[in-house]
Amino acid sequence: MKSYINNYELLCDAGDTDNLMEAIYAKKSAITVSEDYIKDQKAGLGIMQYDNIYDTLKDVVAKVLEQSNLENFHDTLLILGSSVGGMQECEEIFYSQRSYKNINPNRYSMNALTDFLEKEFGFYDSRAVSTACTSSANALLLAKRLISVGAYENILVVGADGLCKSTVMGFYALGVLADRACTPFDKNRNGMNVAEAVGAILVQNSKNNQSIEIKGVGASSDAYHMTNPDPQATGAVSSMNAAVKDAGIRLDEVSYINAHGTATLANDRVESLAIEKLFGKSVYVSSTKAITGHTLGAAGAIEAIISCEVIKRSMIPPQTGLSELENQNIKVPTQTIKMDIKNVISNSFAFGGNNASIVLGVVK
Amino acid sequence: MKSIAVNIISSAKIYAKVKIDDLEEKRLVPNMMMRRRLTRNAKVLLYLSDKCGFNSGKVVYGTCFSELEETAKIANAVLDGGLLSPTSFQNSVYNTAPSYFSLINKDKDEMITISAGMKTSREAIKTAALQSLVSGQRVLCVCVECINIKNIQEINRCANYLEAGAAFVLEADENTSGAKEIEDIKTEGMMDSLKEIMSVVDMHERLNDKILVEL
Repeated sequence: MKSYINNYELLCDAGDTDNLMEAIYAKKSAITVSEDYIKDQKAGLGIMQYDNIYDTLKDVVAKVLEQSNLENFHDTLLILGSSVGGMQECEEIFYSQRSYKNINPNRYSMNALTDFLEKEFGFYDSRAVSTACTSSANALLLAKRLISVGAYENILVVGADGLCKSTVMGFYALGVLADRACTPFDKNRNGMNVAEAVGAILVQNSKNNQSIEIKGVGASSDAYHMTNPDPQATGAVSSMNAAVKDAGIRLDEVSYINAHGTATLANDRVESLAIEKLFGKSVYVSSTKAITGHTLGAAGAIEAIISCEVIKRSMIPPQTGLSELENQNIKVPTQTIKMDIKNVISNSFAFGGNNASIVLGVVK
Repeated sequence: MKSIAVNIISSAKIYAKVKIDDLEEKRLVPNMMMRRRLTRNAKVLLYLSDKCGFNSGKVVYGTCFSELEETAKIANAVLDGGLLSPTSFQNSVYNTAPSYFSLINKDKDEMITISAGMKTSREAIKTAALQSLVSGQRVLCVCVECINIKNIQEINRCANYLEAGAAFVLEADENTSGAKEIEDIKTEGMMDSLKEIMSVVDMHERLNDKILVEL
């Protein structure tokens, strides 16, 4: 059984799906430089315009339902991908009261978000994947597999993470937080932008004339280090290879890679090497995190939506912020490339050496 | 919605009211530097995987609250205006425990972490069954909760066991004959997020080695 992405919507620092794609092709970063999170330090952050994560989830999911062929989600499985779940609200209570007393444990973990959506929309069942920055990519991986074995006809994959003080300060402590908009793959890049987003993707076993197929999924572990990727890029090569093999396509049938491309020194060097080893210059590569920032657990869903739009628009996104390409053995465009695009890989990599790659493509 | 059978190959469980005494860390992780970085959830996971005889392959890990101790350290450091520990931050993500399993065993296979509130172990079992079905391989399903942190009594109103975990190695079997539904066995004071996997281990101890799982 094949899996089709039939509807989607998102909200990120650049706005909704259409706003985001306009920003990507216009090379207009939506990163904000903030001094609110770290004392006496600037931080480049991707900040959404929203009141709270729950209302945003409800709005985005309602839009997907409205666009879909479904009357409701009563027979739909919800799979959330998130790294912080309900922590945004809970840490604010703790910081203001110095106590756990008024924290509701049911609003702390991943189920804070899935319970809310289940109550609002009446999903058949729900679960959350929390593998840090691969969370919603792994949610898509599971959705594809569940549909392939005939377990479900409809699965809503949601990627959601709100900005938390602890997350921003944590990346600062690791020394990887940029003080301005990030510049993926640039020789002089200076780190990543922590960001927030909500994206929802309806995956079904039936197609329509707007469908994009999830052709292949692949995942692996580096087994190397908790935060640094394997410098030989074996994990990234393995997850991309597995996804291409699962898709049943050749490497030269991939037109574009939407890279994980966080703009940290380690990630971009290793991801470039992995792409060089597998594809050389046969494929275009760019990272849209220069526009959105790194939306952590939501990134897999957000970048899958971007990849669907890239295929539909037949336009390879240019790399925003690139002055001097570090690895000259990969092909990173600085201008939009108009071409027929059959297959795209979306990469997501995470703490613990957790890797996931998704192949999205036109429906034959 | 599809149901399949899974054969239980091996299983283990452990729990304590406050802190599990001996997780055999020195034997399981001889490297002192690595051992010192391990979180409580990681130590419990490593102990259970060893008891199940599993050191390579796909892992599905379930946890509702994950690395509460590391998260509390970070929150307190933010509140006190101090610098955060990079180790605490990297250890605070939900996939920390299976990542240490991967690192220590040099296991490069898929590690998936599932969190679903009080139905966490139920959803982890479903995911592990799926992973075994699509791969044709044996999979480790392991669920752990360690909530033994300072001032936990401010928020904990139901769990008597502050550290607990259970695991089983399974293989998918599309022939459902003889497979039993997971029984509703409640261990008083055990977090509900571990209920189904504790029941599976109990069933296995009573020589039931085939269960029915709706994916």
